[in-house]
Amino acid sequence: MREAAMIMTEPIPRKAGDALKKVPPEEPSEPVPVEETELVQRARKGDLAAYDQLVQRYQERIYATVYHMTSNHEDANDLAQEAFIKGFQALKSFKGGSSFYTWVYRIAVNKTINFLKQRKNRSQMSLNDLDFNAEHDPDLVALISDKTPRREAGLTELQEKLNEGMQKLSEPHRLVVTLHDVQGLSHEEIAKIMGCNIGTVRSRLFYARQQLQGFLADYLK
Amino acid sequence: MNPDSENFDSLRQLLSLKRHEIPPPGYFDRFSRDVIARIKAGERGGEVGADYSWLRRFLGMFDVKPVFAGAFGTAVCAFIVSGIISSENTPVMGGGVSNIAGNTSVAAIPVSMSGPGVDEQFSTSSNSVAGSLFDHFPLQTQPASEQILLTGGN
Repeated sequence: MREAAMIMTEPIPRKAGDALKKVPPEEPSEPVPVEETELVQRARKGDLAAYDQLVQRYQERIYATVYHMTSNHEDANDLAQEAFIKGFQALKSFKGGSSFYTWVYRIAVNKTINFLKQRKNRSQMSLNDLDFNAEHDPDLVALISDKTPRREAGLTELQEKLNEGMQKLSEPHRLVVTLHDVQGLSHEEIAKIMGCNIGTVRSRLFYARQQLQGFLADYLK
Repeated sequence: MNPDSENFDSLRQLLSLKRHEIPPPGYFDRFSRDVIARIKAGERGGEVGADYSWLRRFLGMFDVKPVFAGAFGTAVCAFIVSGIISSENTPVMGGGVSNIAGNTSVAAIPVSMSGPGVDEQFSTSSNSVAGSLFDHFPLQTQPASEQILLTGGN
């Protein structure tokens, strides 16, 4: 029974082996999985063990989103932790209309955007290392060996250039690219998180991709 | 306008690189522990933390806008310089030590610090001018440069 509940609550990656690719939060109209509701109830009463489980469940996705927005591990660490702390402090205001995941996601996104607006003069990157699988990712192998005009470009150079390009986007555009193209959320889910309509998400995604494509033209075919 | 219908395939391939950026090993093992520890620390020291929240915000401004740090540093320097200038212009109680040696800068030192080789001609009793101020202390005034010479000689 517990196993079944876990299956219900654990999102299924859309692509095998995709550690950071994220799964959509549940629809607000759908019933929130029982176990998460219980954990939230317990956490609301001050049960830190229950909240610890909630944090462990969503920490990777929240961290990844903030990291891709900031391109800075230390900032992402602080902001992700603060988002969960704020989430715990504000649990009483959580109505349960959406999943806890969507709710804490919004907190993290708002915190990150506020932080980035204040940080405008300081855009220092502190990038995480690439995992071993990156060298064997078929998409990347093809991109480097066959399609890239600058074939000498290594993965690290591509990573830096890509992050530079991301940082040139405005916060809303960067967020849309992060949520859709990096984390794999749907337009609908992004619209819920960002509090805008789907058309806005689509247009922002289009514009952001155009900007990125222009900036990274040397590295694309 | 459908972003998926445009030819962004190469870009999307490149963006897949972002998914391979991972934090240091073991990072997520301690992440939730750190969050819970910070929540507990906040509950225990909430009021104490609140006392210093203005200070954190103030110092945080330096991170956000370096111009604030420069302005604050300039203000502190200006404050220190003005303090030094105003202290030099403030008359000393008891008639002023500077009157003793005219325009020569002088140093007041305890007699006990004077070495056995102190030349008596440079030792001026303060009692004659500064009267009441130095009555209780066995002080003598000397030209500062002379004091350096004498102590260095020992």
